[in-house]
Amino acid sequence: MARSIYNTDIHREKLESVSSDILRNVRINKGFIIWMGILALALAACVFAYTIQLKKGLGVTGLRDATSWGMYIATFVFFVATSLVGMLISSVLGLAGVKWIRPIARIAEIIAVAFAAIAGLVIVSDMGRPDRLPYVFMFGRFQSPILWDVTVVTTYFFVSLMLWFIPLIPDLAIAKTRLNGRPGFLIKAYELLSVNWINHDRQVKIMHQAMRILLILIVPLAFAIHTVTSWLFALTPRAGWDSTIFGPYFISGAFVSGTAAVIIAMYFYRENYRLSRYLTNDHFEKIGRVLALVSIIYIYFNINEFLVPAYKLKTHDAIHLRELLTGHHAMLFWSVQLLGLVIPVILLLIKRMRRPLPLLLISAVVLTASWFKRYIIVVPPQEHPYLPVQNVPIEWMVYKPTVIETAVTFGSLILVLMIITVLSKLFPVLPVWELAEEEASAKGEENKQ
Amino acid sequence: MRKILAILIILQLLSVNMKAQEWVVPDDRKGRLSTFPFDDNTRSSGQKIYNLNCMSCHGTPGKSNYLNLVPPPGDPATDKIQHNSDGEMFYKVQSGRGQMPSFRSVLTSDELWQVVSYIRSFNKSYKQQFRAVISSSAYPGATINMTLALNEPDSTFILTAWADRETGRVPVTDAGVRIFIHRTFGHQAVDEEKITDKTGKAVFKIPLKLNGDSLGNVTVSARFVDEDTFGTASKDTVLAAGIRTYPVSLVKERAMWNKASKAPLWIMLSYILGVLIAWSFIIIVLLKIRDIYITGKYIESAESEKQNN
Ligand code: HEC
Repeated sequence: MARSIYNTDIHREKLESVSSDILRNVRINKGFIIWMGILALALAACVFAYTIQLKKGLGVTGLRDATSWGMYIATFVFFVATSLVGMLISSVLGLAGVKWIRPIARIAEIIAVAFAAIAGLVIVSDMGRPDRLPYVFMFGRFQSPILWDVTVVTTYFFVSLMLWFIPLIPDLAIAKTRLNGRPGFLIKAYELLSVNWINHDRQVKIMHQAMRILLILIVPLAFAIHTVTSWLFALTPRAGWDSTIFGPYFISGAFVSGTAAVIIAMYFYRENYRLSRYLTNDHFEKIGRVLALVSIIYIYFNINEFLVPAYKLKTHDAIHLRELLTGHHAMLFWSVQLLGLVIPVILLLIKRMRRPLPLLLISAVVLTASWFKRYIIVVPPQEHPYLPVQNVPIEWMVYKPTVIETAVTFGSLILVLMIITVLSKLFPVLPVWELAEEEASAKGEENKQ
Repeated sequence: MRKILAILIILQLLSVNMKAQEWVVPDDRKGRLSTFPFDDNTRSSGQKIYNLNCMSCHGTPGKSNYLNLVPPPGDPATDKIQHNSDGEMFYKVQSGRGQMPSFRSVLTSDELWQVVSYIRSFNKSYKQQFRAVISSSAYPGATINMTLALNEPDSTFILTAWADRETGRVPVTDAGVRIFIHRTFGHQAVDEEKITDKTGKAVFKIPLKLNGDSLGNVTVSARFVDEDTFGTASKDTVLAAGIRTYPVSLVKERAMWNKASKAPLWIMLSYILGVLIAWSFIIIVLLKIRDIYITGKYIESAESEKQNN
């Protein structure tokens, strides 16, 4: 099977059946409009909350002198983390020749594009003066992790977008003649975006080269984006952030939340789009194993991250760890570690738990816990700075998110959902071409036997 | 209106509270006066000292932006601090109380008076009284003075203290004395406490590697340990006792904390190279998409030509 994955030699009838299954869902129906309407309404409320923040400043949030990074930055880290799954699935597993990821790769890229796109926006919501955003570029310093972060998030978003788009080109070409009854603008968009694709060998070859460049490029980029995100913390001398393993700690954690997000999306498409023929129990079984594996790696990094300072108990680390393990944040900390990591891993080792529905439930818990885990990483270390502060109001030291802040955070989540919705409603969520080929070659093998 | 009332009530409560824990200054200290008149020089020296040592808690005078401590530090421009006599103010800053630190070993008497002179500049109705003559209970009726000199060969400072009486000059003997060198944040004690000998002299060893300014100058100040007995005479003297140092601005060389154009080269290069490499690949990929487009167009037109033929 050293042939191109974009094999041109395909049974017509297979292509017909696969494309009708998948393209059935490409339409603007009532469900889509109602769902987008609900999202838009909810978003309007969040935007209103944001206008209050814009007018009155960050004082309307729980952010103060000591804890100046709260929910927003936790959400930013969470979004960047989740978007990393695009690289894991398409690149790491794809380049390793793992075949079952074919129908999942595009889903992973949709997740990557949506979360990476909004991650940058979340940063803006954390700015008291968003009008000064251009200053980052005008006066940015090469020494500042903030500049690196802005650069790398933008780059990662572009590459993810192309990793989503390029394998879509053949599908767009296939689909453009099969979209009767869809709105005209959509057909026009397909025509335009399919860039004259006629499935010619030469085109297939070029696309192949482009994909190979991207799949390799995305690996260092994805490592860069999340390592830099971790450096926003680790380059600051603060007990709880001052860690040399923050890069891999973040990246391994990113794979956990990203895989969970992909599983949730897979389940949704399988049930709602009736795609169980392509997203089989076997796919869930396998990605369930991936989730178990990345979670175990993450547990390993967690042990390193907490055991090493807990053994030495340097003065400030001791204060931080006490708050985390037995103090003010203990409840949240242990819930996140146990419910979001240890128990899921134990469950995932049981085969029955890797069936679609149980896996969906586990993933939902894991994904939620992932957000709280970011909160645990971002907020508590700020509550005990090295320079002592005395006799200040308690709310200057201990962070408590406000309603406005929560609403703005939800707004960013709604935007992610909107992007995912648009991408998965206006474009095929599974690779028609590859699946047709896969079915055809599977058929071929059966015939031979 | 209700807000204002609430604030007034709170203020009332606070002032009751304050009275309960009034800061009492010993009677013999209340009347203490500066030994020099306050002028623009003393005020500007005082401002510098204030900005360095006091502003972090007391804020900018007149702005009431002092720290929210208990009891509150207060704004020096307001009556809370201005109601003190010069002697009371001097005493409070020198000895401190609770969160108000003691500046006894940080500021010399002269510097304390300079701060007082600065604080008084916010009080229009203030009229200074000063006492040029310093007297001592050990030498009744005499004016006490001291000088500091550098003895380069031995690398020592020599302090001489004397008392001027109408009947003539006598050395101040058996008095504990200390000297300090002025540093950016506070004062560095030199050697230990010494006792003046029969000639009124005390000798202090100069520490090795004492950094001075570009001329090797340091400001040294001397005073009696027991000011109650020997009086508050003090002497600030500039002496060339230090090593010449030429401070280099921390933003002169390339450094992590410097502006973008003075970033360390390796970090600049890594960043620029990283961005260039990543984006040149992205551009290559964009060109490939264009290639796909052009190839498709070319082949399609070739095919249709073939059909036409
Ligand atoms: C660490 C904070 C802090 C610093 C630094 C500080 N102060 Fe204070 N100061 C206080 C506090 C608190 C009080 C009130 C103490 C009390 O009433 O018990 C106070 C009280 C005073 C008072 C007496 C006010 C009164 O009610 O009579 C004076 C005068 C004063 N400070 C001057 C100074 C000067 C001059 C400096 C700098 C050389 C200085 N302070 C530096 C915190 C500070």
